[in-house]
Amino acid sequence: MSPLENPKVTRMIILGPSANISQSELVRKLHMMELPLTIKSTCYGAAVSGDEEIVKKAIEDVRALDPYNIFSKDRGFPPGDPRRCRAKRGGAREGFHQLEREFELLDAVSNALEHPQKVSLKKAKKVSPEEFKEIAEEN
Amino acid sequence: MKIAIFPPNSLILADLVERRGHEPLVLQREIRKRVSTPEIDSPPLNMTEEDPIKGLKYAAIEVPSGVRGRMALLGPLIDEADAAIIMEDAPFGFGCVGCARTNELCMFNLRKKNIPVLELKYPTNREETQEVVNKINVFLDSLEENNG
Repeated sequence: MSPLENPKVTRMIILGPSANISQSELVRKLHMMELPLTIKSTCYGAAVSGDEEIVKKAIEDVRALDPYNIFSKDRGFPPGDPRRCRAKRGGAREGFHQLEREFELLDAVSNALEHPQKVSLKKAKKVSPEEFKEIAEEN
Repeated sequence: MKIAIFPPNSLILADLVERRGHEPLVLQREIRKRVSTPEIDSPPLNMTEEDPIKGLKYAAIEVPSGVRGRMALLGPLIDEADAAIIMEDAPFGFGCVGCARTNELCMFNLRKKNIPVLELKYPTNREETQEVVNKINVFLDSLEENNG
């Protein structure tokens, strides 16, 4: 079967700065699920690769461990791919710097997810000249 | 709903969209199609001479081939989008999203598509991040309400 007929997907699981589990615990939990997945421990968390449905299930189960501090995103290249893997190429993997930058915000993101606040998407209206005049005259 | 995100490889945007039960249209999905085909033999991407031709749908012939090549990846994502979240001034404008002209063209295409679009600035501190996250969640919930 060609990869196009049976596409394998790869997802990165990223632990937020306040996550209550470590990378090794995360990988152990993933192994304990006994799902047919390729699991790779990484500096940010783990990368999992396998059939789409199975990967999705693994992500859902892992997220349940710490819903506000475990993040996930798709990855194009499979784990350990020599075209991307740091071990073969040397230097930081493409995408690492972006991840590093977004990681700085993850603590605030998890805090916002845990404590949602009501906000309005409407833009603030401009003050009309008449209204402005009234305000100016009042003072 | 399928939500286009910009930058198209953002972790925060993709994760927030997924948490609300929508499907984020991420760049990695298009990359995967190219790098997992059996005939791939050279890094970094399996861009072929076909790609700039496909890009002609989104950019004129006078536009540099790099923009057209990138649009061959990003264009299909924009076509599929039912709504979009655009985060401007993201500091990681490099790699596959490093072309400023492609970025402008993508944002232009998303804005003129007549779909609900949420435009934000990349947050730089904790307060801004919290506001951005809340706005994204409100926007995504409002899409569900509009769709019944």
